[in-house]
Amino acid sequence: MGDFRYIGRDIPRPDAVDKVTGLSRYIDDLYLPGMLYAAVLRPEYAHARILGIETAAAEAMPGVVKVVTGEGCTIHYGDNIKDLTPMAVDRVRHIGEPVAAVIADTPWHARAALEKIEVAYEPLPVYVDAREAMKEDAILIHEDNGEIWHLPTLHPIPGTNVANYYRLVKGKGEAGFEEADVVVEGEFNFPFGSAAAIEPHGAIVWFKTDGTLEVWSSSICPFIIREDLAHAYGLPVSHVRVHIPELGGCFGYKSDITVEQTVAYIASFVPGHPVKWVATRREDFIGTLIAHGIRIRMKMGATKEGKLVALKTTVLHSTGAYADTGVNITIGAAHNSTGPYEFPHCDLEGYTVYTNTPPVGAYRAYGHPEAQLATERMIELLARKLGISSLELRRKNYLREGSITALGERLWKHNGDAEAAARIVEEAIFGHEKPKEDERYYYGRGFAALMKSPKGAPFSTKGCYMKMNIDGSVSVNMAGAEVGQGLRTIVQQIAAEALKIPPERIRVYTEIDTQFSPYEWQTIGSMFTLQGGRAIVRTAERLIRKLKETAAQVLRCDIDLLDYDGEYVFLRSDPSVRVEVTRLARGYIHPDGITVGEVAQAVADARLPRYSNPDEHGQGTMGVTYTFGAQGCEIRIDKKTGEIIVDHFASAFDVGRVIHPKQIRGQVVGGVTMALGAALSEELKFDEEGRLLNPQFYQYHIPTYKERLRKQTIAFVETPGEIGPFGARGLGEHPVIGVAPAILNAIYDATGIDFYDIPVTPKRMKAALEAKRKREGEDAAKEVEA
Amino acid sequence: MKTITFTINGVERTVIVEEGLMLLDVLRDVLHLTGAKRGCDNGTCGACTVVVNGKAVKSCTYPIEKAAGAEIVTIEGLAEDGSLHPIQEAMVEAWAVQCGFCTPGIVMDLYALLEFDPDADDAALERTLNRHLCRCTGYEAIEEAAKLAREKMKKASGE
Ligand code: FES
Ligand code: FES
Repeated sequence: MGDFRYIGRDIPRPDAVDKVTGLSRYIDDLYLPGMLYAAVLRPEYAHARILGIETAAAEAMPGVVKVVTGEGCTIHYGDNIKDLTPMAVDRVRHIGEPVAAVIADTPWHARAALEKIEVAYEPLPVYVDAREAMKEDAILIHEDNGEIWHLPTLHPIPGTNVANYYRLVKGKGEAGFEEADVVVEGEFNFPFGSAAAIEPHGAIVWFKTDGTLEVWSSSICPFIIREDLAHAYGLPVSHVRVHIPELGGCFGYKSDITVEQTVAYIASFVPGHPVKWVATRREDFIGTLIAHGIRIRMKMGATKEGKLVALKTTVLHSTGAYADTGVNITIGAAHNSTGPYEFPHCDLEGYTVYTNTPPVGAYRAYGHPEAQLATERMIELLARKLGISSLELRRKNYLREGSITALGERLWKHNGDAEAAARIVEEAIFGHEKPKEDERYYYGRGFAALMKSPKGAPFSTKGCYMKMNIDGSVSVNMAGAEVGQGLRTIVQQIAAEALKIPPERIRVYTEIDTQFSPYEWQTIGSMFTLQGGRAIVRTAERLIRKLKETAAQVLRCDIDLLDYDGEYVFLRSDPSVRVEVTRLARGYIHPDGITVGEVAQAVADARLPRYSNPDEHGQGTMGVTYTFGAQGCEIRIDKKTGEIIVDHFASAFDVGRVIHPKQIRGQVVGGVTMALGAALSEELKFDEEGRLLNPQFYQYHIPTYKERLRKQTIAFVETPGEIGPFGARGLGEHPVIGVAPAILNAIYDATGIDFYDIPVTPKRMKAALEAKRKREGEDAAKEVEA
Repeated sequence: MKTITFTINGVERTVIVEEGLMLLDVLRDVLHLTGAKRGCDNGTCGACTVVVNGKAVKSCTYPIEKAAGAEIVTIEGLAEDGSLHPIQEAMVEAWAVQCGFCTPGIVMDLYALLEFDPDADDAALERTLNRHLCRCTGYEAIEEAAKLAREKMKKASGE
C-alpha cells in the first residue's frame, strides 16, 4: 500500500465541466437532419385482447407522417427468453405495453395525434402478484410458455405462468434442518419500485438508405442492442452501429435491451429518417423496466450454540409480463439469500412468474437487497429465539477464508473481510449510549451485514484500446458506460498508474460507438472497476511491451533487459542507455528516415476467471468475486406522526482498494439515500386492474433534499483482491443492500414492532404504533381484571 | 401560430410557434438550447429550471406566451469568456456532479438566488435546493456546493 502515484487520489472528473455548463449531450439533446418524432400509445387495460385499432383520425392530424401498429409484427427478442415483441401484436399483457405509435414532425404533434387512435379491447383477467398468477385456474399470460426460445440453463414450467424455476441445493438441503436446535420462519416482501433516474429513457433509430442501421440510445449495453437489432432485421451485426451519448443515471434499468426494439420497429416504417422517442415520466415508470416485486419465504436453523446450519428460501418473483430481464434477478436473489453467512445446508429456490405488470429488470444490486432484507431480519428473529446478541450470532457465522458459499465456491482471504467491516459499523452505531425514549420520540438502532457477488454472464467481457500519441500522451477507448458513477475518472487513474504517466496526459473516451469502441458486454454488476480496470492494466502491459520491442531494436539488446518508467525505455543495467517514449510512439524513425518497430497501440480485454453457468445443483463459480460490508443506523420515530428520522447512518465495505476517495463516498451517500427511499417511501402501486396509481414524481416519492442524511459514517476496509486492478473490488451497488433491514431492525429496537415488508411509511408506522398501544392497553386491562 | 420575441443569454430571438407550448419545448425543440433538461414535464424535478427576469422558473410549466419580452438566462449563458461562473466552479469543486442531469437546473436556481442575494441564509439555500430532485448524489455534495458557491459569490460581490 502507499506505493501508488495516482490510485487513491481525488483527481478531477473529466466530465464535470461539460456537465455544469450544460454542454453534455444526453439522448434528448441530439437532433439529426430530417429527424422525426415518435409518441407511443399505451393500453387502457393491463391484460386484454386487441380486437381492432382505428388509426385514420390520427393520420389526419397536423404534422403526422405515419401511424404504426403491431399488426403482423413477427419480431421476437430477448437475451434469456425471447418472450418480447416490439409492439403488442394481438394482446396486451401490461399497462405500459406499446400498442401503437405516431410518427410526426414535432414531439407535440406526435403526442396530440395519439389521442385520436381508437383501440377496441376484450379485457382478460389480470394478475398483479405471483401468488395469483400461480393459482391452478389462472389463465396463461403466455400460452406458449416453455416453447418460447430460452437459454438451455432455464427451466420454464409449461402450462403455468412460471417462466423459470431455479433451485440450488447445498449439502443435505432441507434435510439439514435435522441438525438445528432452533428454527425460525418468516415471509418478507420487497414491492415494485423504479430506478427512476432523473433522465428518462430514449432512443433514436435510423434505417439508412445504404442498408445499415444507426442507433443512439440511453442505454448501457450498445453491443447487445447491436446484436439484437441485427438479428431482428436480418442484417450483419457489423451493419448496425450504436452510439451511447451521456447518460443521466442508470441504476440498472437502462441495462439489457429496453426501448430500442420498439423505437426501431417504429422507425422501420419511415426508412431514411431518424426517429426519436423519449419517454415521458409516466412512460419511464410503466414502459421501461420496473424493479423488485420479490416476495421471500425463508426458514433458518441454528444449533443452540448459535451455529447456522440450514437455510431454506423460496423466492416468488412477480416478474411482469415478460421475463427476459427478470429471470436472472430471481436466480440472483435465491443464491445470494444466504447473505454473508455460511450455511452447511441450503435449499434455495426461485420462481420467476409472469404477471400483468411491466417487466421487472435490473435495479441497483440485482436481487441482493430483496433477498438480504429477509436474511438480515431472520438473523434478528433467530438471535432473539436463541437468546443471544444478533451481532454475536453474525460474528459466529460470517463467510471467511475457507468457508464454502451456497454456490459451492471456496472463499479466500482476498475475497475480503466481512467481520472487519462489521466491527467498524458496530462501533459507530453501538459504541455509545442510545438516547432514552422521550415525550416525542422512540429511539432505535439497527444493523445489517451484507454480501454481493456480480451476477453477470460467463462471457461478460470488457475491452480496452489504448494508443500513445507522438507527445507521449495517451488516448483510451473503452465501452464502459459513464452513468454518473465516475467511471471515466477511474479509467484515467488506472491507466495513469499502469502506464506511469500523469492522468493529465490521458484522455478518456466520451461517447461509446460500436463502430470504434472495443467490445464490452454491458456495464453492470459493479464490475467496471474490477473487470474494466483489469482490461486497462492488461492493455497497458501490451502497450509497454510494444514500446520495449521497438526500443530493443533501437538500443540493440534483448527486450527483457529493458525497463520502462513512463518517459523512457532504458537498459536496466545502465539507465543512461535509453530512448524517449515520444520517439517510439510511431515506431522509431532513424535519422535517415528508415522506421522500425510498431505504432504504440494495444488492445486487450478481461473477464472474470472461470465464471460459469449453474450445474445441476444450481451451483457453480457464479460469484467469483465478492464484496462484503455492513450497515447500521440510529433512528428516531415520532410517536404522533409515525415519521422515521434517520439521525446517523453508517456503512463500511471491504473494497480491496480505494481508487478515488471522493467518488467512492459519492457512491455510498447516493446509494444509501436511494435505498432509504425504498425502505421508507417508494412503492409502485398497481390496482387490481394492473393500472399504476402513482406514475409521477409527485406521487412516487424519491428522497428529496430536505430528507437528506445529516450524519453518515463511511469507511472502507482494504483487503486487496486478486482479480481487480491494484486489488480493487466493485462497490456501485453495495450501499443499497443493507439499508432496509438495518432500518427495520432499528424499528424493532425502538418499538418492539417487527416489520416484514417495506416501505414503512409514516402512515404504516403510525398505524402499527396505535395497534400496539391498543394491544398493550387491552393487556393491561386484562391484568387489572385478573 | 404566435410570434414571440425575447432575449436569451443576451441575444434577442424571435420564434413563431404554436399555442400551448411551454418555454422548455421552445428552448429545446425549437432553439436547440438543450442545457435545460426534461425530467418530469410537470414541475416536480427542477431539471428544466431557467431564469426569467431574474427569477428561477420551471420552464416545463411556463407557457411560452408569458416569455414575450422577457430576459431569459439559461445554463448556456453562465460561463463567460470560457471560464466557469463561481456557482459552476463550486459544483465541480464540491463533487456535486455525478450523472449531471439535475445539475443545470440546480445551478440556475442557485444563480437566481445568489446573484441577487449573496448573503442568502441557510433556509433560503434549503428552499432552493428542495425544488430539485437528484437521484445520484444523496444531496450531501450538493449542499456543500451551494455553501461554497455562496462563499464565492460573497467574495466576488465584496470585491
Ligand atoms: S422537467 Fe420541469 S420540473 Fe421536471
Ligand atoms: S447527479 Fe444525477 S440526478 Fe443529480
